[in-house]
Amino acid sequence: MSRGNLFLAGLLWIVIAILVIYPLSFLVIESFKISGSDNFGISNYIEFFKDAYYLKTFANTLALSAAVLITTTIFGVPLAYILARYRQRGKTILTALTLLPIVLPAFAGVFAFIIFFGKYGTLNLVLMEIGLIEKPVNFIYGFHGLVFIQSLHMLPFIVLSLSAGFTNIDPSFEEAAEVEGASGFWRFITVSLPLCAPTYLAGGVIVFLWPFTDWLTPLILGQVDFLPSVAYINIAYHFTDLHRKYMGIVAVVVSSVVCIFLFLLARRWVEKRKYTGLSKGTTSEGRIIEPGPVMKIWAYIYMIFIAVLVLLIPIVLGLSSFSRRWVFEPLPTYWTLDNYRVILTETPLLIKNSFLFSGVALAFGVIFGLPAAYIIVRTKVPGKNALDFIITLMLAFPGMAVGVSYLLAFWENIPLATHWIIMPLALFARRLPYFLRMAHSSYLQLDISLEEASEVSGAGKIRTFMSISLPLLLKGVLVGVVMFFIMAFQEISTAIFLYRGGWETMPIGIYLNWHRGMEFGIAAAMAFLMIVITFVLLLIISRVSGNVLRAAWGSDNK
Amino acid sequence: MAFIEIKGLFKTFDKVTAINRIDLEIKKGELLTLLGPSGCGKTTTLRCIAGLEKPEDGDIVIDGQSMLAEGFVPPAKRGIGMVFQNYAVWPHMKVFTNIVYGLKLQKLPKREIQESAARVLELVGLSGLENRYPSQLSGGQQQRVALARALVRNPKVLLLDEPLSNLDAKLREELRFEIKDLVRRMNITSVYVTHDQGEAMVISDRIAVMDSGNVVQIGNARDIYEKPANRFVADFIGAMNFMAGEIVEKVPDKPNAYVRTEFADKLLCRMSEHSKATVKDEIYASIRPEDVEVTADRPQADENCFKGTISNMAYLGNLLFFFVKLKNSMIRVQASHQVSFEEGQEVYLHLNPEKSMILS
Ligand SMILES: Nc1ncnc2c1ncn2[C@@H]1O[C@H](COP(=O)(O)OP(=O)(O)OP(=O)(O)O)[C@@H](O)[C@H]1O
Ligand SMILES: [Mg+2]
Repeated sequence: MSRGNLFLAGLLWIVIAILVIYPLSFLVIESFKISGSDNFGISNYIEFFKDAYYLKTFANTLALSAAVLITTTIFGVPLAYILARYRQRGKTILTALTLLPIVLPAFAGVFAFIIFFGKYGTLNLVLMEIGLIEKPVNFIYGFHGLVFIQSLHMLPFIVLSLSAGFTNIDPSFEEAAEVEGASGFWRFITVSLPLCAPTYLAGGVIVFLWPFTDWLTPLILGQVDFLPSVAYINIAYHFTDLHRKYMGIVAVVVSSVVCIFLFLLARRWVEKRKYTGLSKGTTSEGRIIEPGPVMKIWAYIYMIFIAVLVLLIPIVLGLSSFSRRWVFEPLPTYWTLDNYRVILTETPLLIKNSFLFSGVALAFGVIFGLPAAYIIVRTKVPGKNALDFIITLMLAFPGMAVGVSYLLAFWENIPLATHWIIMPLALFARRLPYFLRMAHSSYLQLDISLEEASEVSGAGKIRTFMSISLPLLLKGVLVGVVMFFIMAFQEISTAIFLYRGGWETMPIGIYLNWHRGMEFGIAAAMAFLMIVITFVLLLIISRVSGNVLRAAWGSDNK
Repeated sequence: MAFIEIKGLFKTFDKVTAINRIDLEIKKGELLTLLGPSGCGKTTTLRCIAGLEKPEDGDIVIDGQSMLAEGFVPPAKRGIGMVFQNYAVWPHMKVFTNIVYGLKLQKLPKREIQESAARVLELVGLSGLENRYPSQLSGGQQQRVALARALVRNPKVLLLDEPLSNLDAKLREELRFEIKDLVRRMNITSVYVTHDQGEAMVISDRIAVMDSGNVVQIGNARDIYEKPANRFVADFIGAMNFMAGEIVEKVPDKPNAYVRTEFADKLLCRMSEHSKATVKDEIYASIRPEDVEVTADRPQADENCFKGTISNMAYLGNLLFFFVKLKNSMIRVQASHQVSFEEGQEVYLHLNPEKSMILS
C-alpha cells in the first residue's frame, strides 16, 4: 500500500465528511428537535405517521412514483428497442429529440405545457374552435397532468438504460431462442426483456425517485399534496413556525430514507444478477435489424409523436417569450420584445451567477472526481468501497435534503452559508455521483498496461498520471464534464434554499418571476434563454465528441 | 444421396464476399468439419445452414427439402440444433428451463418434456444440476448445457460453431472425444466449425478446408494431410517446406515431373492429382519436414540427394527439429530424437520423390 494513495484517500474522506456526512447528520438531528423546548425525541415522527394528511401525501407520492414508472416504461420500451435495434434513417436526430428532456430544466416543461394544454390553452381553444368539444378539457391540472409532465421528463432515463441493455445483449442469446423455435415476440418476452432487467432497474429506480424530489412541478400545477411539495412549503414558507419547519424536515428525512432504501434494494438486486455473459465471436454492433415497411412507418410515427411533445417545450416558450398577454388565444397575437427588455436588466447577473456557480462546482467535481475514481478503480486502499458507496448514495438523496441540510449545517459552526461559495459547494455535492461514474467508467476502459508501460519506462506515479492517464481519460471524461455542468446549470431544488439576494441563478430567477405574479412572459423568456444556452453547450461538445447522442447522454451506450 | 446439399451458396456483407458460391454435400450421420483461418467464412456458412443468415444466392437442401429455393424456411422449422461459440446459455434461466425451452414451445405433454430433459442431461453428464443457474456452472458444464439444449429436440442436423474455443486446453481435448462419441452414438448429421486443425482431425469424418469464402478441399484427415490440394491447405494443416521452382520436364506416363529450384537443377517430384501445372509453370516443390531423410553418409538413392549444413537445432524430447542449409535455401527437418547431429555438421539430404509434391 503506497503512502501517497493512503494520503489521497484520507483527503477525499475529509471532503466527504465535511460536505456530506456532517450536513446530512444535521438534518437528522434537526428532525428530532421538539419545538418550544430544548428536548429531542421522536414525537415529530410519531405525529407524521399519525397525521392523516401526511400519510395521504406519502401515499400520493408513492402512487405518483408508480404511475410515472409505469408510464415511462410503457412508452420507453418501444423507443429503446427502436433506438437499439432498428436501422432507420433519421433515427439519430429523432432519438436526440425524444431524449432532450434530460437536459431541459424540469420546470421549463411545466410552463410550456400549461400554456399549451391549460384550461384556455392552445389545444383546448383549437378543439373548441373546430367544435370537437364544448367546454375546455382538463388536460394538465391534476394527478394525470403530473404523471404526464414527470414521465416526459424522466423518459430518457428509461430509454437510455433499456437501450443500453438491448445493445449489450449478446446476439447469440436471441439467436439460440430463434433456433429453438421461439417467435419474435416470444423471444422478446422470454429472452431480451429479462436480460435487460438489471440495466432497466438501474434507470427505473432513478425514475421512481423523481416524484420524491420534484417539489416544483406539483407546486406550479397547484397539486401540493405530495411529500416534497409539502416539505418545501413547510420549510420555506414557515421558517418562523418552528414546529412546521421540523415537520417539513421530517418529511425530507422520510423521503430520503425511502429513496435510499429503494435505491439500495435495486442496487443489490442488480448486483446479484449482472449478466456479464461471454461475448466472443460476435460483432460488437449487436443485432441491428432492418424493419419491415409497416414497422418502419409505425416506428417513425411513434418517434415523431414523442419528439413533437418534447419540441413543444422550446417552441411554446419561445413564442410566449416574444409576446404579451398570451391568454385565451391559440397563438400569441401581440408580439413584443418587452420580456427580453425586462430580463436584460436582471439577467446579466443571473447568467453570471449560473456560469460562475456551475463552473466552480465543475472545478470541484474534476478535482475531487478524478482522484476518487483513481482510488476506487486502481488501488486497494481500505475503505474505498465505502467511499464509492457514500458518493453513489448521493444519487438517491432528494435535492431538497442537500439544500436544507447545508442551510442548517453551515450556519453557526462553519459559517459558509454567508458566502456565495456555498452555492457551488452544494451543487458539487449533489451532482458528484454523475461525474464520478463517468470518470469511473473511463478509468475502467483505460488499460492499466498503458500506465504500467509508463512506469516501467521510468516515470513516477504523478508523472504517469499527468502524461498518460489524464490525456487518455479527458477524452472520455469530457462528456461527463459538460453533463455535470448542464445538470448544475439547471439545478434548483438545492439552490432555492441557499441563495440570498444577489446570488440568484437563472432557474431561481425563472421560479421567482413565476411566483411573483404569474409573469409567464418573463419567466418564459428566461427559460427560453436557458434552453438556448444549454443547446449551444450541447452543440459544442457534439462537435468535440462527434456524436450528438453520445454528447448529450454520456457514453454508457457503447 | 446427400442429407445436406449446399449448392452455389453466396453471401456478402457490405460488399465483402463472405462466402463465394460454395458447394458441399454432407452424408447422413456424417460429421463434417469446416476448417479454415479466421474470417474465411466458416461461421457464415454455418449460420446460412441454420437460417440465421439469408444468402443472396444458392440453395440449401436438408433431407430433401429446400430451405431457400421454395421460400425461406426459418430456423425453427429446419429441424436443427445449434451450439453457439459462446454457449448462449440463457443466464436468467436455470439449466432445466434452458434445456426445455424449445420443447415447451412445441406444447408437448409435461411428462414427455421431463423425460426428454432427463435423457439428454444423462447423456451429457449433467444429471443433478438441473436447478442451477448458468453462473453456478463451470465453462465446460455450460458447454454441456448448450449441447443438451441442442440435442433435446432430436434435431435432424446438429450445428456446432467452435464449441470448444472458450475452454482451456485440457478440457478441450477431453470434450473433443466426448462430442465425437455422442454424435456417433446418436447417429446425427453434424456440421462442426473450428479453426483448430488438431480438433478437426480428431473429430471429423470429413473435413472441408475453407479459404476466403471458398471450399478448397474436402476429404478425410489423411487425404488432406497427405494429398493437400494446394499450397494453402498444405500450409494450414501441418508444416511444409515450400521450395519455389519451375517445372522443366514431365516424366511420360508417370505422375512425376522434374523441377528446377534454387539449389537443384532437376528435382524429381510427384504431381499432385489436384494440380494441372505443366512445363514452365512456376510452382512449389513441397515436402513435409518429417519426410525429409537426413544421413551423415551419402545415401544409396541416386536421385534427389543433396549435401548441406545443419543449423538451428531444437530438441523437443520425442522429436528433433533442425534446418539444413542448401545453398540459400533452408529445409526444415523433423527427425527422431535418437539421431545425433550437431549444428554446423555436414549432412546428406534425400528428398524422396514420392513424398515431394508439386503444389501451386
Ligand atoms: N455481420 C457481419 N457484418 C459484416 N461482415 C461480416 C459479418 N459477419 C461476418 N462478416 C465478414 O464475413 C467474413 C467471414 O466471416 P465469418 O464470421 O464467417 O468467418 P469465420 O471463418 O467464422 O472466422 P472466425 O474463425 O474468426 O470465427 C469476414 O470477412 C467477416 O468480416
Ligand atoms: Mg466464426
